[in-house]
Amino acid sequence: MNKKDIKLMFFLAYKNIIKSKSTFIVIVAVMAMSFLSITFFSAIIDGLSYEFEESMIDGQTGHLMIEPSNEESFIFNSDRLEKNISKIPGVIGVSSRLESNILITYKNEELGAPVFFIDPIDEQKVSNFHESLIEGSFLSYKDTSEIIIGSDLLEQYAPIDDTKKRFNLRIGDNIILTFNNGYKKEYKIKGIFKTGSKFNDDKILINKEEYFSIFNKEDISHKILVKLPSRGLEKEYIQKIEALGIIEQINPWETKIGMIKQFVGSLQITNQITGFIGLLTAFATIYIIIFINVTNKRKQIGILKAIGIKKKIILGSYIIQSFIYGFVGVIFGNIIMQILLALLASYPLSMPIGDVVPLLTIGKLLTTSFILILASIVAGFFPSRKASNDNILDAIFGG
Amino acid sequence: MIKNIIEVNKLERIYSNGIVKTYALKDVSLSIKPGEFVAIMGPSGSGKSTLLHQLGLLDTPTNGSIIIDNEDVSKLTDKQKTTFRLEKLGYVFQSYNLLPELNVIENVFLTSMAKGLDPKEYNLRAKDILEKVGLKDRLYYYPSELSGGQQQRVSIARALVNKPKILFADEPTANLDSDSSQDIIDLFKKLNKEINQTIVMVTHELEEGKKADRIIWIKDGILDKSVKV
Ligand SMILES: Nc1ncnc2c1ncn2[C@@H]1O[C@H](COP(=O)(O)OP(=O)(O)OP(=O)(O)O)[C@@H](O)[C@H]1O
Ligand SMILES: [Mg+2]
Repeated sequence: MNKKDIKLMFFLAYKNIIKSKSTFIVIVAVMAMSFLSITFFSAIIDGLSYEFEESMIDGQTGHLMIEPSNEESFIFNSDRLEKNISKIPGVIGVSSRLESNILITYKNEELGAPVFFIDPIDEQKVSNFHESLIEGSFLSYKDTSEIIIGSDLLEQYAPIDDTKKRFNLRIGDNIILTFNNGYKKEYKIKGIFKTGSKFNDDKILINKEEYFSIFNKEDISHKILVKLPSRGLEKEYIQKIEALGIIEQINPWETKIGMIKQFVGSLQITNQITGFIGLLTAFATIYIIIFINVTNKRKQIGILKAIGIKKKIILGSYIIQSFIYGFVGVIFGNIIMQILLALLASYPLSMPIGDVVPLLTIGKLLTTSFILILASIVAGFFPSRKASNDNILDAIFGG
Repeated sequence: MIKNIIEVNKLERIYSNGIVKTYALKDVSLSIKPGEFVAIMGPSGSGKSTLLHQLGLLDTPTNGSIIIDNEDVSKLTDKQKTTFRLEKLGYVFQSYNLLPELNVIENVFLTSMAKGLDPKEYNLRAKDILEKVGLKDRLYYYPSELSGGQQQRVSIARALVNKPKILFADEPTANLDSDSSQDIIDLFKKLNKEINQTIVMVTHELEEGKKADRIIWIKDGILDKSVKV
């Protein structure tokens, strides 16, 4: 293979593509669509998975969750620990919670629900309940007879066709809560939140001070949530917190989202399977189109051989053509994908769990691009090799 | 005595499709001198094309030997044959067989390009030869935009651009009207005279055959007679 051969290859490839623009457009369009179908679905799934995890981090776990040491059911000296952790540079927020189940009574109806006893100020730095209010306002530190209630407990926010028992409550209505030590108290609904996640929207939020007075305790908590600047820093901060010399357990969010983790894991497997099938389909489509294209060129290939053009030049020119189809297709696919991603970033898909923004990593883009280009080269290689090995006379005169 | 440019010895080409064996060529021996214009004639199915394909290295005989320009071409590998075709042979087919993606001048200079000439030179050569065949005002037309006669002249230009030792033509006028046919044969005659081009041409028309120096008659795959015109 020398320079003149390569020049000739490119010349033939170039002329072939230029003179069959419609073929070119069709193949490039198919490549671009294949690219989109593979990456887009997977981006949605990844975005969905991310959103699921994010809703758990925002509502329930924070990035780090500190829990009582094995023998204890509470974290003691919670205030001091919180203060120390919040002094670690970079930590965005620290908040402690106590959890319990209560019985809600309204008129003649009763319903059990989980409660988070929170510090109304600190809580806003670690979770997104305060940002998810759809009615009313959030608790202030003085609010001891008010509660915030999740939309999933309310009839007016029930999904259609959902027959779960719910209350017909409005802002300002009073309900009676019975705590698991038998204590009863009337509370006023101050706010209603809807995060979009079923795992969060069934909760009731009450000022932590209430727990201390009802259960006659102080300076304890079940959990301390720590919010970090972003995901991925968990290990680093666990070390920093451990360096404070605490005896409690520190767990990253991944270990605390059990069900969701399984669910996301299943989604990811689905994603891999559909991605693989998508690639196969794309490969088959590309193969067939390029195969037909090359098969149609059988006579030309025969003529080229007859007038003395080397087989490897002919083969090379078809491989270059296939590469160009693949490359241009993938470029277009990438451009369209970026436009779609940009659009969906500004207008996210509204899904029942919340707004989902498709997530696509550079790694996935590169792999898909690479595989599709490779697929088109392979798809071009075999039929052209077959055609260029054909008997010259058969190729020219048909046979 | 001048050395022969083509020497064929006991050439045989059998087509077999499992059961049936067709002897397209049987025991054909002949020789052609450099600068000769030879016509191959005979009834349909007699083996004219088959003979031309063997001589032109487009097919492989089942037996016998062919020596072209002192080289025993029956011993060459496929790859060597391709190079040999590029360097020494030129073809004109009945149905022109131009490459539809290339325009006139590109069709013509393609083989010069393949030989590694630089663009200036192959463009010049192609223009030159296209002028000789009377197509200098059609350089950038595509084959689909030309008449049959014009296409055939392009294919002659393509065959000649590398100054081949031998020009092969299989019924080059069969698809053309009589005026165009006349032009093509006159062109062959002119090339033969002016540049001493060796030409081996298959034809059905006795009129055309008579323009050659010699007619080789073939019948049922066997050499019938060789007649000086
Ligand atoms: N590919 C092939 N397979 C089998 N038989 C073939 C093949 N090509 C040619 N033949 C046979 O070989 C014989 C000679 O064919 P050829 O094409 O050389 O004839 P021809 O003299 O060129 O005829 P025409 O004047 O019609 O072009 C014929 O009997 C033909 O059927
Ligand atoms: Mg014939």
